[in-house]
Amino acid sequence: MKILDKQLDALPREVVFCKKCVVSNQRPRIVFDENGVCSACNYAEYKENKIDWDAREQELVELLNKHRSKDGSFDIIVPGSGGKDSGYVAHVLKEKYGMHPLCVTWAPFIYTDIGWKNFNNFVQSGFNVLSCYQDGVLHRKLARTAFEVKGDAWEPFTYGQNSYAFHIALKFDIKLIFLGENGEAEYGGSMKDALKSYESIDDWDHFHYKGAGVETVLEAGRELGILTAEEANPNRFLFYQPPKYEELANAGIQTHWMSYYKKWVPQENFYYASKNTGFEVNPDGRSEGTHSKYASLDDKTDGFHWYLGYIKFGMGRATRDAMMEIRSGHIDRDEAIALVKRYDGEFPSVYFQDFIKYLDISEERFWEVVDAYRLPHLWEKKDGMWKLKQVVS
Amino acid sequence: MHEKNIRIIPRLDIKGVNLVKPMQTEALRVMGSPKVFIDRYYKDGADEIIYLDIVASLYQRNIDFDQLKSVTDGVFIPVTVGGGIRSIQDVKNALRAGADKVAINTYAIHNPDFLTKAVQEFGSQCVVLFIEAKKQNNGMWEAYTDGGREHTGVDAISWAKRGIELGVGEILLSSIDKEGTRQGYDTSIVEKISSIAPIPVIAHGGAGSPLSVEDVIIKGKADAVALSSLFHYKEYSINDIKKHLIEKNINVRYEG
Repeated sequence: MKILDKQLDALPREVVFCKKCVVSNQRPRIVFDENGVCSACNYAEYKENKIDWDAREQELVELLNKHRSKDGSFDIIVPGSGGKDSGYVAHVLKEKYGMHPLCVTWAPFIYTDIGWKNFNNFVQSGFNVLSCYQDGVLHRKLARTAFEVKGDAWEPFTYGQNSYAFHIALKFDIKLIFLGENGEAEYGGSMKDALKSYESIDDWDHFHYKGAGVETVLEAGRELGILTAEEANPNRFLFYQPPKYEELANAGIQTHWMSYYKKWVPQENFYYASKNTGFEVNPDGRSEGTHSKYASLDDKTDGFHWYLGYIKFGMGRATRDAMMEIRSGHIDRDEAIALVKRYDGEFPSVYFQDFIKYLDISEERFWEVVDAYRLPHLWEKKDGMWKLKQVVS
Repeated sequence: MHEKNIRIIPRLDIKGVNLVKPMQTEALRVMGSPKVFIDRYYKDGADEIIYLDIVASLYQRNIDFDQLKSVTDGVFIPVTVGGGIRSIQDVKNALRAGADKVAINTYAIHNPDFLTKAVQEFGSQCVVLFIEAKKQNNGMWEAYTDGGREHTGVDAISWAKRGIELGVGEILLSSIDKEGTRQGYDTSIVEKISSIAPIPVIAHGGAGSPLSVEDVIIKGKADAVALSSLFHYKEYSINDIKKHLIEKNINVRYEG
């Protein structure tokens, strides 16, 4: 099977877990220091102790003062779904800092009821939102291709999530785009921009598209016969690709992270969004594969993104949630281990039929693809069952 | 005039060494030392205390009995203790460490016989059935476990009935939807269970003001009310609540 995810080749063959949290060195781009502590934990400590948050807020105020419109027209773009994080960012920019946000939503593959409800609650709390719904046929075929060649059907979502906002910024001449957190720094990845307030456009391809942007995936889809040559025409995927670098640079468009300016604590975002933008937790209790109830709720396919992460890197949704909570000081390492052991890798069965129907694949094909992404240094088959060779302890 | 005395009960949610406060059973915010809070509530005229390790079942571990002992030391009002209780020995340990009653949810749903055993061993007055109820789209309420995270498929009202048949002495009924939100109690589920229960029902989840407490007593027919956010964040004192209830001709133990 053809696999385009270049980051898989770069994974260390010996699995090592962070001494402070539950992440392992299998997370792409993460680095460990000489004490065996991951970059995200070190950043969390830095964030807790070394950053002068009052000074950072002053920087934010100065930046916003430069951009705030005087006539009430839109002056800032906030991409997001109306979940707890984007809800917080948009609301605090509007209500505390007097900005006039235009929010943009790159629609999920398949809305969950709670995702749709939260989106509407967010709109009702006082926001203009442009939603981009993709061509259903092309989007699904792209997702199918990404599932096969990248081991992640979610990837077309990330393409548009980033680039759609830039198209809108250009179109309406809005110079400032505000994202939530610098995921690379907060969750473990490249520390290149950890001390910067903005992301360089040059880095997108490497960080977000894993060395294979939409054109590469379209090409693969055509080769696999999932997309016809006509369908695989990149011009039909305008919003999946950022505008030309020169256009953005000339227009002076900048992307900033709120996590640079204000301490990023997802749990506090939840409290804020519940109070101010009508955010509600997963009505089913915890989400499958984890203990948490408040993250990644919008899309019926989300569970498979986390599940494939578990297959490819040996770390699933519970690991992700638990490591974030350790770093925020909400749980300790023993508690995190208990959660990972109990929930990580739990199969997202609730929406399984929706997922394979969406991708138009059989259950057999689903498992063939999944098994193709089990790296031999992570997985072994015992008594006919796949087992991770190392789990955090 | 209400005949019975309505008990006002601060509820302490515990995780590790800390008192925590979630919202809709998620996002456990660290509030501080449970000892500081329990002493304040004891001094302020709480009628009882509820002390729940809300993650013991989630982490499949036991409550810290030594900590319980030191927290309840010097507190001479009834204390109900829950969290991960799944054996007669656990109940004994809790009672030895200062509990007067134990609250049981997760283990009991999967092993209802355990309630019977506990009642036989310690008496009804000692066993509280803790129900975490979540309203469903079909208008029913489902009982959840593991700190409001796990489905059980069990109807909360039927489960309350079953618990009563098995001999529990009290029901602690918490609404997952309202918990931590200050939007008012889910008076509807409280009323449904209170009206069939010959035993006291303690309502929890959603207190936002003295008025919401009054509502759950009048409309929900609650026998006792548990509150956390309002007291923890010092938005109202125990006496603020009691004074309001007295004005509404609801009996409470009040010493000014």
